[in-house]
Amino acid sequence: MTDDYLNRALSRRRFLKLAGGGIAAAGIAPILAACGGGSSSSSAGTTAASTGAAGETAASGGGEISMWWWGEQEAIGIQKWVDSTLAGFKEESGITVDPLLMDTAAVIPQFTEAAAAGKPPDTQFLFNGIYHMENVWLGYLQALNGLVPDETLAQSGATVLSVYQGKQYRVGWYIVGFGIEYDKRAFEAAGLDADNPPTTWDAFLDACDKIKTSGLIPFSAGVKDGFFGEWYFVNTLTQALDNPSQAIDLFVGNLDWTTPEYYEQWSKLQELVENGFINEDANSLELYQGIQLMETGKAAMTINTTASLPAAQEKLGENLGYFVMPVYGTGAMAGIPITDTQGFGIPTDAKDAAASAKLLEYMHSEERVNAMWSESRALPADEKFDASLIDDAFLKNVYETWWVGDHNAYVADLMPTLFWTDAMFVNSQKILAGEMTGEEAGQNAQDVSEKWVKQNPDIVANYKTWAEDLAAGQ
Amino acid sequence: MLKTRPWVPYLYVLPAFCLIGFIFAYPVAQVFNYSFRLIRGNSGPWVGTLNYQLIFEDPTFRSAAKHSLLLLLAVPVLLAISVLVSVLLYERARGWKIYRSVLFFPFILAVPVVGIVASYMFTLNGVVNSLLGAVGIDGPDWIGDSNKALWTLMLVIVWREVGFGIILFLARLLSLPEEQLEAARIDGAGWWSRLRYVILPELRGTIEFYCVIAAITMLAWVFGYVWTLTKGGPGDATTVLELYIYNQGLRNSLPGMASAVAVLLMGATMIFVALLFYVRRRQHEEEVA
Repeated sequence: MTDDYLNRALSRRRFLKLAGGGIAAAGIAPILAACGGGSSSSSAGTTAASTGAAGETAASGGGEISMWWWGEQEAIGIQKWVDSTLAGFKEESGITVDPLLMDTAAVIPQFTEAAAAGKPPDTQFLFNGIYHMENVWLGYLQALNGLVPDETLAQSGATVLSVYQGKQYRVGWYIVGFGIEYDKRAFEAAGLDADNPPTTWDAFLDACDKIKTSGLIPFSAGVKDGFFGEWYFVNTLTQALDNPSQAIDLFVGNLDWTTPEYYEQWSKLQELVENGFINEDANSLELYQGIQLMETGKAAMTINTTASLPAAQEKLGENLGYFVMPVYGTGAMAGIPITDTQGFGIPTDAKDAAASAKLLEYMHSEERVNAMWSESRALPADEKFDASLIDDAFLKNVYETWWVGDHNAYVADLMPTLFWTDAMFVNSQKILAGEMTGEEAGQNAQDVSEKWVKQNPDIVANYKTWAEDLAAGQ
Repeated sequence: MLKTRPWVPYLYVLPAFCLIGFIFAYPVAQVFNYSFRLIRGNSGPWVGTLNYQLIFEDPTFRSAAKHSLLLLLAVPVLLAISVLVSVLLYERARGWKIYRSVLFFPFILAVPVVGIVASYMFTLNGVVNSLLGAVGIDGPDWIGDSNKALWTLMLVIVWREVGFGIILFLARLLSLPEEQLEAARIDGAGWWSRLRYVILPELRGTIEFYCVIAAITMLAWVFGYVWTLTKGGPGDATTVLELYIYNQGLRNSLPGMASAVAVLLMGATMIFVALLFYVRRRQHEEEVA
């Protein structure tokens, strides 16, 4: 009977049926595994705990850990500090760190994918706020409390946006302040006081007008990649807020974007465009192309970060100036510098969390913190930094104003990415193209916020908890 | 004579069959699965058709779908240029091999390279407008104006993709028996008549194939151009379905919605593939009859 069965001709139809069944089985098995993937996620803590023991072996001497990082794109020269830090760490602990410099667009999404697959690096670069908080909510990052000494956590400059429900998920690295960079020569040529840039919106408009009359572009921008829109948005929306939690209230629909004070920032952008104060090719240029217009003498002002100022100094020397976005708003946050910090965290599934924690601690040793300035001219976020080392009066003033003094959180760190792509990006570009008014931008922002809430019902609750945390922390 | 059991040959192909099945079937099945779930990380609860409802309610999706469909207008343009240029090359004018290489050159360039170079050339104060300015023409804001950006994108895509069409049609033409065209010439057929009554009928199968490939390219293979040239802007003027999938899947952490769009996009491309098979079968039946 068996032989009969084996010898029976296998028809094409029967073969296809069998093969189809095989493929279905092959396809369904991984799907079922994926469906059960939730359990892998929920057991992440257990995994981390079990790997912790193995980690202790490496942390106590030898071994290798991986680190995905980002920053050279922004704080040019920071690579030198990273290299010397990893070399010093190896010398001190015997642990080799395998670094991988990531692309701007990939550094967080790729981490999320790797973490979902259970194969994240041991140490991960993290932007502040929502850019790492979503991964906290997914269970992909572990709280640093208990892993990294409390003193290091408190002094690292991680900011309040790295804390959720009382636990800290990130240590700070270098500071990124936001303001307006300007060329003093352009101010002087327009008859303006180059050492006293405008502090109010009216004075700013007046300065733009005089600069335009002098033949220069008053304010340069490149918005094709969207980042100018983000920087402008943060520098201006903040002026309508009393605290960062209000930004979350706007994003989750507790406050209404169609209220004039919450779309005023886009009306102000419209005002700049209609007066011809922004370069007319802004929509076809990227952020740094827009900044270059200013740094090559074609424009007088642009938005830039403090991290880029050392590079700008090389082009403009003593003619470089920097000031806080002029005030028009009445919120408690108006007129105060905005400062963010970059940072690092430890993934839940890091194969050697203890070694990674040791690396973070080493990065925040006094010697390494001070070396960040001496080796790379980046301004450290860590409070241990000896500011007297800053031998440049301009950068010292920037450090004291944007970091040591009173400063605001960077509210784009609270922005859902859907708002970034569908509201902030779209609004800024359409306004610059003269196709949208500030009021219409407010309506679009409201529509997008409502859409985001509908598409992300599970995340909204986390956002609200976060807003309560932030409000309580004020 | 060596006798084997009838199923043995099938056994030999089974490993390759399983491998291919795993490579293609698994991702497709997973995309289908994801499209019915609210995915966070690598899993999430079953939500039925909610993702599909959400995308149809989303104005950004509708805008992206419209732009993807508009890009299909490039297909007849690509076809016309490819056929015309390949026929001209087939005339074997002096230096035709050099022209062939030059025309194919854009196609061997990586899409990001083409996109980035074009993004510099087509800025308001870029090379293209400088050249136009030199002859007294005030050039438009090619990629900064919402009304022009999609057409600029299409122009760049056509510039690169047309090389493939030219080579494809030229290869087919070079495989045609010379006698047919020679006979037409002897019978007094002019260039246009030869094109219409001899060459185009002979190219019919290739034209059908190329149209399907070009349509699939326009629907599902333009992300590199969009990302490097415009990032989907100004506003959402050049946001296409692929970019929407990327934004929802990777940037907005909504792989479920991204998968739902991917399923729809795959369905749309499958329609084109089915159309190709239908046309080819009908053609075959006509030939047999």
